[in-house]
Amino acid sequence: MNDCPNADVRDLLPDLVHERLGVGARATVAEHVAGCPDCAAELELLRQFRATRRTPRVDVASIVAAVPPYRAVARRSWVGWRAAAAITILVAGASSVALIQRGTPSSIRVGTQASAAPVSTSVVPGVSATTPTLVAASPEPLPRIAIPNSLPTPANIAEDPAAVPVGRELAMGGGAMGDLDDHELASLLKDIESLDAVPSIDVESTPVSPIGPSAPAGP
Amino acid sequence: MTDDAGDADELTDLDLITRWKGGEDRAATLLVERHAGAVARFARSVGARGDVQEIVQDTFVRAFSSLDGFRGDSSLRTWLFTIARRLLLDLRRSERRRGEQVEVQDTDVVTEYDSLDTVVADETRTRMQAAIERLSRTQREVFVLRVTEGLSYREIADVAGTTEGAARVHYHNAMRVIKEFLHE
Repeated sequence: MNDCPNADVRDLLPDLVHERLGVGARATVAEHVAGCPDCAAELELLRQFRATRRTPRVDVASIVAAVPPYRAVARRSWVGWRAAAAITILVAGASSVALIQRGTPSSIRVGTQASAAPVSTSVVPGVSATTPTLVAASPEPLPRIAIPNSLPTPANIAEDPAAVPVGRELAMGGGAMGDLDDHELASLLKDIESLDAVPSIDVESTPVSPIGPSAPAGP
Repeated sequence: MTDDAGDADELTDLDLITRWKGGEDRAATLLVERHAGAVARFARSVGARGDVQEIVQDTFVRAFSSLDGFRGDSSLRTWLFTIARRLLLDLRRSERRRGEQVEVQDTDVVTEYDSLDTVVADETRTRMQAAIERLSRTQREVFVLRVTEGLSYREIADVAGTTEGAARVHYHNAMRVIKEFLHE
């Protein structure tokens, strides 16, 4: 049995078997099959195949008994949508309040601590021309590093200590980290953690402008 | 139920669905009677063996449980075929996970077919059955739906989750394999 080259007619042969063709298409296919032994053989094959397919026995009663009773799908009411919207608004509001509270300037909290222990700041040139050293102006009161809201350069601090803005100030005992006792160290760490961001000034590594008359000229 | 058998034949599937939703249990019976045979044939043809009744029953249970999702874009029978096919695929996957043999071997096709049918198969039926078992699963699905159930390529594509063009190609490939087998 060969395949007829007329694929369109071959496509319609199963429809001819099932009598699904319209009058015109049926007449066209029937006319072609009458003159085409390949399509006639294929049509006979399809009829045989369909005729030999047996229908397995099924127990209709047990299937019907297993069918659940009809239950309409409940649609969400407007009340539900309103409740969902209200919850969303409440959550958004609470989140906003929490964010605002977290975003409170740390200077308020740190400043309170600073006022309890007034200190002064002094930055003097160290041995290294590029590494300034923080030293205490005097043993009492404790010196402190000023971390302004608008971060100045070390040069600015040295030139005009009074210009250091009142802002975030961290107490340091003895002018060096190693001189802090446990309480002061804990307080310092707490204050650092409460900052919005770590200051970009790194006194250990940031190149600074030379300070003092003996320092070489800067770039 | 006020319909007699004659009236029931004239009712469309959508009519019966509407009546079933309205509380007429008889409508469900009519729908099952109308389509259970076709679903069983399809299930048997694409691999269901002793579990045809189970597949058909699960198909109708799932269909009736989600009839609100049936919009009538396709025929109810096509939708039932789609559900049955998915059930069969799930069943075969679970069998594979359990390490059970899934594919019917060519050597036992005829024996299995004969044992499940009380009537002794004649030579033509036996050869047809053996021929279709030569097909791949997809070819078998497409060929059975096209030849035995008379679905269009568009409907076959919906059932098999493929395209109309792919369904057409699968059909012609299946026909070629069957012809070659029958003329060996």
